[in-house]
Amino acid sequence: MSWQAALIAMLPEHLLLAGIVLLTLIEIAPRRWASPLAVSAVLVAAAALAAALMSLAGYAAAPFAGHFSVTPTTLLAKAIVLALTVPVVLLARDDFGDDGQFYLLLLSSLYGVSLLLSADSFLTLFLGLELMSLPVYALVLLAFRRPESAEAALKYLILGGTATATFLMGASLLFGSSGTLALSTFAKALSANDVLAQAAVVLIILSFFLKAAVVPFHTWAPDAYEAASIPVTAYMAVVIKAGVLLAAVRLVGQAPLSSTMVDLLAILPLISIVWGNLTAMRQSSFRRMIAYSSIAHAGYLYYAFLGAGDTRFTAVVFYVLAYGVMNLLAFASLPRSADDNARDHLDHLRGLYQRDPFAALMIGMAMLSLAGIPPLPGFVAKFLIFKNVIAAGYTLYAVLGLVGSYLGIYFYLRVIQYLFMSTREPTAEAVITQRAALGAGVLCLIPAVVLSVFPGWVIGLL
Amino acid sequence: MDNAIMLNLVLYLPLLGIAMLAALPAGHEDRVRSTSFGVMVAQLFLTVILYLRFDPNVAGLQFETRLPWISDWGVYYQIGLDGYNVLLVLLTAFLGPLVVAGAFSAITKDVKLFYAMVFLIQFAMLGTFVAQDLFLFYVFWETMLIPMFLIIGIWGGERRIYATLKFVLYTAFGSILMLAAVIYLVYSLKQTTGLTSFAFADLYRVRLPVDVQSILLFAFALSFAIKVPMVPLHTWLPDAHVEAPTAGSVILAGVLLKMGTYGFMKLGFPLFPDATRAATPLIMALAVVSIVYGACLALVQTDIKKIIAYSSISHLGYVMLGLASLDLLGIQGAVIQMVSHGLTAAGLFLMVGMIYERCHTRELAAYGGLAKIMPVYSVFFAILTLASIGLPTTSGFTGEFLVLLGAFRGAWPIYQQGDAFPLAMSVIAVSGVVLGALYMLWFAQRFLFGLAKAPHSDLTDLNLREKTILATIVVAIFALGLYPQEPLRKTEVAAKQYQQLVGTSRTTVAGSAR
Repeated sequence: MSWQAALIAMLPEHLLLAGIVLLTLIEIAPRRWASPLAVSAVLVAAAALAAALMSLAGYAAAPFAGHFSVTPTTLLAKAIVLALTVPVVLLARDDFGDDGQFYLLLLSSLYGVSLLLSADSFLTLFLGLELMSLPVYALVLLAFRRPESAEAALKYLILGGTATATFLMGASLLFGSSGTLALSTFAKALSANDVLAQAAVVLIILSFFLKAAVVPFHTWAPDAYEAASIPVTAYMAVVIKAGVLLAAVRLVGQAPLSSTMVDLLAILPLISIVWGNLTAMRQSSFRRMIAYSSIAHAGYLYYAFLGAGDTRFTAVVFYVLAYGVMNLLAFASLPRSADDNARDHLDHLRGLYQRDPFAALMIGMAMLSLAGIPPLPGFVAKFLIFKNVIAAGYTLYAVLGLVGSYLGIYFYLRVIQYLFMSTREPTAEAVITQRAALGAGVLCLIPAVVLSVFPGWVIGLL
Repeated sequence: MDNAIMLNLVLYLPLLGIAMLAALPAGHEDRVRSTSFGVMVAQLFLTVILYLRFDPNVAGLQFETRLPWISDWGVYYQIGLDGYNVLLVLLTAFLGPLVVAGAFSAITKDVKLFYAMVFLIQFAMLGTFVAQDLFLFYVFWETMLIPMFLIIGIWGGERRIYATLKFVLYTAFGSILMLAAVIYLVYSLKQTTGLTSFAFADLYRVRLPVDVQSILLFAFALSFAIKVPMVPLHTWLPDAHVEAPTAGSVILAGVLLKMGTYGFMKLGFPLFPDATRAATPLIMALAVVSIVYGACLALVQTDIKKIIAYSSISHLGYVMLGLASLDLLGIQGAVIQMVSHGLTAAGLFLMVGMIYERCHTRELAAYGGLAKIMPVYSVFFAILTLASIGLPTTSGFTGEFLVLLGAFRGAWPIYQQGDAFPLAMSVIAVSGVVLGALYMLWFAQRFLFGLAKAPHSDLTDLNLREKTILATIVVAIFALGLYPQEPLRKTEVAAKQYQQLVGTSRTTVAGSAR
């Protein structure tokens, strides 16, 4: 390892670190000399751009051999996840303004996500996972808008801790059976007959299920999503989920799955799809609904692992991109209100088309995409996953998953019904369009259109 | 202009229309209406030129565009005209301006969004017809859902939310299983030939064991049969029609329902010929049940929109019967019947809309003796009624007559071999004609004649706009009834191709496909 290689290969991470340092300096300085929002937006965008350019240049390096490496494909995934955070930062303006703590925690967590995507050993992976999760426990609590926030944050913390413990238990069992911490041992253990290795694999997979909120390990998600403020919910639903899933792809790699593993990786996600979609129907809070929807989407994402080895990465990255862009678009277009509880209530969306047609159209489009209705990107993403599942020969699981996704159509359509078909409540206040949120919306709209019209181009890149 | 470019232009004109509407400043509702009408007329004009240039002697695609879209999956942006879709494209483009003009006075809320949705559904419907790649077809097919969902849900009647959710949830359920079947089919093609392609032409070569064919046909057929709709999957239709605004009903009856029969003709039956032939008795039985049951239900309705809605189920049963007969006349009759029903049902729904705008009720009992109050209206209504019954010289006669003729011609040899079932079905189908005359004439008699009564005493007769709309439809109905040779010639090659595709076995020994 040379220090130059470490400097270049970790450029996105360094940019994030620079952001963290700058934000700390801004916080401790007696006089505010820069806007934390601007600093974080610029540095996250720069990190995303750096990753994208390095990927285009075909850069590959392993500055810390066996622990951290970058390849053009992982850099592209990194660029996508980092880019998805830019709208989150812009969204935060309404809730956090120039409150430096938020941005500091956000960037720290993002650093963890970035690390995850390059991890080669269980050590780095663990570091990434924890660095990603720890700031989020605080972020959930940060707005502290409701009494339930503390309870939700604690629930999240305890379950997150359980996931960490489970992961560590699995990793140590794996270390015990193989004597190495390299991630590749996991892929070998997938097809091993060794009981120790199999126990390790199951423990690690379950910890990832917990982190991505797959049924029955999902109970933290609705509470945490509802308790958190809009940008934090968006961050959890999009970036954290993307980080966990991409780390899982890194773990499983292209290894073939034994039939037991296939059942494990299909049945819980399938239940997740069905349960998430069914429960989302009954929600009256937008964020809770998105939480259950994200539980279902975690199910689709884990379905990608049923596909043949070389298809998993593309399927997950494309799905994360389509799902992330559309979720953020919805969050960016939500109408503002001084009262957070009222703002979160689905009734607040009634007759939005009359008040703000653009926002209503955007939310409607996002909902349809999440429901997987063509020609929106969510459809191509879902198609890609189910195509791979069928090609791998698991037709029954694919059909059941598709039927499960059908259950989701209703609650997405219900949002559209509220937006367009209900009359405006007399109490609803006029919409104040925030420029930052509008910017975030436009940032999501452009990739959404590109993904709809040229999905082939994006898939070709991956 | 190059024909292929012109076909693309026809397809994308509605999107251009949406862009133009978006650019219009708020509040200029009359400009929204005139712009929409202008775009639709331009689209019709271009479509007519394409129709005239369409060469009936060429087998296969004309005016084709084929560009790689998702090259990693072998998905192409492939569109073109052939004998299967040329009439339906013309029908869609023909109804476009009429739908727009018909809604001028009826739609006053969110006018811009309304016409944008009409354009969007027009785009999706045309796309579904011209798509020659299964992925593209599916994308267009599903895209139709959303504008219809909004058209019924925003501008519909009292129970619009219930009706529109029912419509979407029914149709989406069919599509989701079709999606699984589509993927499986493409995957099977790759297994057997090593080719990754979604093109219809390639998929027609897929060989599958009969049991697999049957499962896939079931998945496709569920989706198509819901759209047609065939009994017993029809229960969404009356609700959707009754609650939809006039424009929604016209689009629904005029074009959307034909998606189902077109799907059967272009995809469902030719892709799985062995399963289709094995299931022919069932398909025929369901078609005949649709004809008779739809007619019987139409007979007892008290809501005028429901009468026409149930008559649609009955009329589309003929199309299915014609397709299942596998006789050249029957197939061609089915195509004509699709167009004919598109014209008459659209006309009837427009007329119901016109009286509803004046009286705000659809209860048949509230009306009577309109012939005295609104003579022009009544003349048009009588003509459309007769066309719906299938009186000679109208398009309905051409369609139904050819279908029944084909059904008998197809059934006779089978009868001689000792199987009387198809012949029995054909005989029962004829009774549908009688029932059709019964419910439509009884409806017209109660509606137009007898004691003059209406919810409002000072009813004005049709204005110039309404007269023009109806006159256009009536002219088309007579044209198709008096000179069916021209459209029949344009579809003949396709009908033969369909006959050959469904008639030839493409099965494999079970197990060798996978």
